[in-house]
Amino acid sequence: MFENNLFDKAFNLFSRVEKQDFEYVYRGYFTHNITKKILVLADTNIQKAVARSTIQKRIYYIMVEGLQNITRHQDEVDYETDKYPGIFAIQKRKKKYFVTTGNLVLNDKKASLKEKIAKINSLEKDELKKFHQEVLRTGVMSDKGGAGLGLIEMARKSGNKLVSSFELVNDEYSYFYLQTQIPTLNEDQEDEDDQDASMRRYLISIKKLHLSLNIENILLYFNGFFNQENLLSLLAIIKGRMNMSITTIRLSNVMVEMIQNIIKHGEQVDENMEGVPGIFFLSQQEENFMLTSGNFIKQGPKEVIEKRLQFVNGMTNEELSEYYDQILLDFELGDSKRTGLGFSDLRIKSGRPLVYHFHPVEDNNYFYILQTEVTNKKK
Amino acid sequence: MDPLILKETEDTPEIIFNPEEGIFKISKISVPEDAFQFYEPILGWLRDYEKNPNPETIVNFDLEYVNTASSKQLIQIMLLLEKIAMKSKVTIKWFYEAIDEDMQSLGERYNKLVKVNFEFIEV
Repeated sequence: MFENNLFDKAFNLFSRVEKQDFEYVYRGYFTHNITKKILVLADTNIQKAVARSTIQKRIYYIMVEGLQNITRHQDEVDYETDKYPGIFAIQKRKKKYFVTTGNLVLNDKKASLKEKIAKINSLEKDELKKFHQEVLRTGVMSDKGGAGLGLIEMARKSGNKLVSSFELVNDEYSYFYLQTQIPTLNEDQEDEDDQDASMRRYLISIKKLHLSLNIENILLYFNGFFNQENLLSLLAIIKGRMNMSITTIRLSNVMVEMIQNIIKHGEQVDENMEGVPGIFFLSQQEENFMLTSGNFIKQGPKEVIEKRLQFVNGMTNEELSEYYDQILLDFELGDSKRTGLGFSDLRIKSGRPLVYHFHPVEDNNYFYILQTEVTNKKK
Repeated sequence: MDPLILKETEDTPEIIFNPEEGIFKISKISVPEDAFQFYEPILGWLRDYEKNPNPETIVNFDLEYVNTASSKQLIQIMLLLEKIAMKSKVTIKWFYEAIDEDMQSLGERYNKLVKVNFEFIEV
């Protein structure tokens, strides 16, 4: 019943990230409020993974600069951002963090941006410091609100070269990608990743990801460990993203149920990590929003869940409502783990059968994908 | 009896149960991971209150988000209020945002299942 194509996409997205790593992407309009929530979400996940607070601070700082770059460019090209929304990504890959921004810029800004980045990348650590002071004093580099300083600071804080790329959109605009790589260990500075080609590999990977997000119109994508903290940040981002409407409320409610479902029933896999690995994304096709979750599950729970989904999908709306009342009053079920209401609630809010798929993976486990659709309703 | 006051958190509601001042209120957001654990002491407090309730108890439910785990605990609160209603006057005031038909229908569901006087207030 699950469209194979969509399933493959969800599983492919999930498989991008290895154990212990995570990646999070926001795509759309950036407001001050959303920027704040993105920082909270990213910071929570970094805290979990990095013990060293200086590195955490550096990553945070780079994220702030990156997000400010997006909003600044967004203002310049405001009337086009609906069609070509900005993107912010934070990824952890092994011992490194990657902060990537992508946004529309005017074609005639390209040359000066390229020049700035080339200049910054040509300087060694001490020279960069001197250059920073010089720009601070004279302000020569920047043509708008310190953009040049932001770039210098990102390079300084990361201790790495900036990686950038432009994709031509039309006569007027290009998409500008900027990636900062932050090693969590100093020794990493010696490894092969510092090779120019290797550094670019990661930017190419995120450009590919961006392409899939564009095709599916995915607005929010989280791939990593799910816990209540992450859920609350994602919830705040959804709330901040849209005007208060029944659709926003419904999306928030559905997201809470789906992610708490992952947290409660998903396979933890790694006991050292505070959460359950999985994927969640929100996509939009015209007036329909699709919320998709994916996580590992064992054979036993798989059978239980499959039966419940079949049961809930098989009911008429009236039957479903009666069943809901019955479960609401069934306190035998009401322990802290299970309420028995989750799927019924999703089905009621969605107004149509739930879409799911269990994909066999190694060791008798399954990768379980669930999709709930919410129609944008104007009231 | 001592009032029960719980400050709101990011995922649990503000609770004010103050018999002396006649204020009973559950508000904001209720999406905890473990709703059972959160509501257990609240239910415990109400079980005590049930023994010697005020002549009139008006409980305000003014919630923005409720996960299914919480919705099951809320009905437990209402069932206790139903008990209290057998010996005193009890009213449940169910607040919901005008746009939030889901919250409205949750209130209507409770109204159907619990024998307590309900008032619906659109805000």
